[in-house]
Amino acid sequence: MTRYTLYIAVALWLAILAGLKLLVRPPMPASVLMIYMTLSTLGILVFVAANEERFGNFIAPLRAVFEGRAPRLVQVLVLAGIPLLLAWGAWLRTAPSSDAPFEPRVVHPEPPASFALHGRRIETAGLKNPLRVPDAAQLEKNTAEGKVIYYRNCFFCHGDTLRGDGHFSGAFSPIPANFRDVGTISMLQESFVFWRVSTGGLGLPRSATPWNSAMPVWQTMLTEEEIWKAILYIYAGSGSTPRTWEEEPKK
Amino acid sequence: MKAMTSLFQRRGRRDAEIAEKCTVQSKIVESVFSASSAPLRQKRFLVVLVSMMIGGAFAADAPKVQTEPVKGTPVAADFEAGKKLYRRWCSQCHGDAGKGDGPAAEFVYPRPRNFTTAIFKVRTTLSGQLPTDHDLFDVISKGLPGTAMPAWEKYLPENDRWQLVHYVKTFDELGLFKEEPAKEQVVVDAPPKITPELIAKGKDLYQKKKCWQCHGQQGRGDGPSAAGMKDEWGFPIRPVNFTKSWRFRGGDRLEDIYRTFTTGFNGTPMPSFVDAIPAAEDRWALAAFVKSLARLQKSGQVLKAGFIGGEIPTDPYAKAWEEAEPFDFPLAGQIIQEPRWFKPMHDVITVRALYNDREIAILLEWDDGTNNKGEGGKPPDQVGLQLPAGAAQDGGKPYFLLGDARHAVDLWRWNPAQGLSRATANGAAKEKPAEAGGVLAQGSYKDGQYRVILRRPLGKVSPGDTAIVPGEFMPIAFQLWDGDNGEEGMKMSLSTWYYLLPQPATPLTAYLWPSGLGFLALGGEVWLLRRMRRKDK
Ligand code: HEC
Ligand code: HEC
Ligand code: HEC
Repeated sequence: MTRYTLYIAVALWLAILAGLKLLVRPPMPASVLMIYMTLSTLGILVFVAANEERFGNFIAPLRAVFEGRAPRLVQVLVLAGIPLLLAWGAWLRTAPSSDAPFEPRVVHPEPPASFALHGRRIETAGLKNPLRVPDAAQLEKNTAEGKVIYYRNCFFCHGDTLRGDGHFSGAFSPIPANFRDVGTISMLQESFVFWRVSTGGLGLPRSATPWNSAMPVWQTMLTEEEIWKAILYIYAGSGSTPRTWEEEPKK
Repeated sequence: MKAMTSLFQRRGRRDAEIAEKCTVQSKIVESVFSASSAPLRQKRFLVVLVSMMIGGAFAADAPKVQTEPVKGTPVAADFEAGKKLYRRWCSQCHGDAGKGDGPAAEFVYPRPRNFTTAIFKVRTTLSGQLPTDHDLFDVISKGLPGTAMPAWEKYLPENDRWQLVHYVKTFDELGLFKEEPAKEQVVVDAPPKITPELIAKGKDLYQKKKCWQCHGQQGRGDGPSAAGMKDEWGFPIRPVNFTKSWRFRGGDRLEDIYRTFTTGFNGTPMPSFVDAIPAAEDRWALAAFVKSLARLQKSGQVLKAGFIGGEIPTDPYAKAWEEAEPFDFPLAGQIIQEPRWFKPMHDVITVRALYNDREIAILLEWDDGTNNKGEGGKPPDQVGLQLPAGAAQDGGKPYFLLGDARHAVDLWRWNPAQGLSRATANGAAKEKPAEAGGVLAQGSYKDGQYRVILRRPLGKVSPGDTAIVPGEFMPIAFQLWDGDNGEEGMKMSLSTWYYLLPQPATPLTAYLWPSGLGFLALGGEVWLLRRMRRKDK
């Protein structure tokens, strides 16, 4: 077992790299990956060096190469490989890159305390959907009207089945929100959603890259009531419920 | 249009009447109506393309294609289940009564199908016949690419899709599905291997059988008969552009293409070619040629401009341009601000860029079946390129749709009527014309495709310019208008922001570091080797 210490360490290092590269979605920028990998490298080295015997095992294969005890082919491969690997690593850093600059984007920024709607100011805190009425028949009617609004205004982007894959969605970046994803409307309060729908992409704070969001400013095209109805539908249609003011944040 | 549909609903109408109402007015199409004995289903379709292809007798009743009995339907109908599913997922487009008039119908192109006349495009049955249940199941599952009709297999389980097949058939007002269900379907054998010979043979047939009259010499949907066609429902229709295979309604696999022009698309000017091209090998060859015209899309976030020594050619067909790397940017209808545009014609623009030590040039390339120069009451075709006007002070970017109050955009536009125009904008309604400054344009139209070169010195020439620096990313966005489709102003296709990057020549230091490090490591190794091996002895 101990003979393999070096190999295990290398395998572990590669596994961490593969995990970070392949499993983390969306992919992390190269600089962040670099930080993680440096930390992992240090961690592995510290662990190895902490124990003298382990360290001895760790460098044993290398010693064999340098002292000329390893098979000839292995010696050549290792001795040629180390400089080449280092040169390649350096090249990766100095080669001119044409990856788009990384633009961090806050998906759910803090909503403002109040915002302008059709010339009035609306307080965000405590805002409730006035059309989410207890009367089931009336609620159903409101939702049905919301469905019509949705399919005349929203489905091109947010999709037939509210998954954010409407027929125009492919041309927009960031992509339209997928309302069936647990990370969108089901973890948001209706007040937040109302703010988002009313003020659209342009109403976002700078941290949320307002210049790129295709989400329209719906108050220019819909009445307040229509916006609330559309919101009723996106919840009902995607089978989710809004977070309420009373409730603690869903985890 | 209303009159048209009701016409179809009257079963006892005379053939002459149909001929009169024929909506397919393409010059080359000659409709031939066999006398009274042919079954109704064959008379229902007007588009019988014959004269030019077989130039002789045409017997509608004697198909020259191998058929086999229709397969059984695996799931029995449950009317209530079908209705529920339909109301939930289909009626917003196809309407509660299947008339193609749901609340979203006005907002998509082509329009959702009206099921009451039972005319279906994607089938394995002979021209003019009804589809089989499996055909309907397949089209519901795979959707109609290039239209708003989604591929429901992504969302609904198989059983639900079968219930929808049964339910869609209940809208058939003429009772055709009961009286004349399809009994035979076309045999589609295993597709042959695509070889250069097969494609060459197909190319020959494409000429001989005059597919180009509608689809154009290069297959870009720009043939002499392409403009002004209508489908059987009275809506404008265009021949498919074969380079955009992702928009083939019936799918773009070899066997799909083969099936499409073997059976034809009922209700459209796209006829069945069984009679004109009776040999199955020939139809496979043609399918292979059509497929060979497809262009793969290459999308990305960055439009890389390559460096060239010397002049950047002004001819968009020059070798340097052909060799420049193309990038495809997807476009969507402008549905963000009024007036919104839900039915755009363009869905992609292909862009290449080159620069030298003085200037940068961008070649914009897009397909358009019609070359509109602003005549005949239609606006001209147009292309637009958008850059930020001046560097943003606060690190942000202008809003991608024509900028915003605090960040202006620089717009370069070209159309075949006025040539280049330039403007700056601080939002849609806040656009000001600007001097061309150093911007130059050359545009041309050939074989259904525009190629427009826009160029500019790298440095600042006029106040609105932002210097373009090799190695630095410049936000860029694109806009397209199709005049034939009535697009102008805010009625356009557009993209969000991408980046333009003039790729800098790799600096010497980029090579120095890695080689330096490599040699250093080698030196270290040699030293270590010496030391350890000496110690050994
Ligand atoms: C032109 C495309 C487009 C249309 C049309 C559109 N949206 Fe959006 N929407 C987006 C995009 C893109 C995003 C994601 C970016 C963002 O958050 O701004 C988004 C985000 C949202 C969000 C935020 C979800 C979250 O998790 O923060 C809501 C809510 C929303 N849209 C509702 C609607 C409603 C309701 C309509 C119709 C009245 C609509 N959208 C129409 C493109 C669109
Ligand atoms: C977003 C709008 C939309 C929705 C929702 C929609 N369709 Fe369609 N559908 C269309 C359009 C548009 C066409 C016609 C395209 C064309 O003619 O090229 C069409 C055509 C069809 C066709 C005819 C195919 C052919 O070969 O001619 C069938 C069958 C069909 N739809 C079934 C359905 C069913 C079943 C559902 C519900 C599960 C559904 N559609 C939902 C837009 C829609
Ligand atoms: C009279 C004009 C006309 C002629 C001639 C014609 N086509 Fe078409 N074709 C059309 C139209 C119109 C469409 C678009 C149908 C639609 O959008 O529903 C089309 C569509 C197609 C499609 C795409 C179907 C799909 O899945 O979307 C193929 C493949 C095709 N044609 C092949 C051919 C071939 C091969 C020939 C020559 C043998 C030919 N066509 C001759 C008018 C024509």
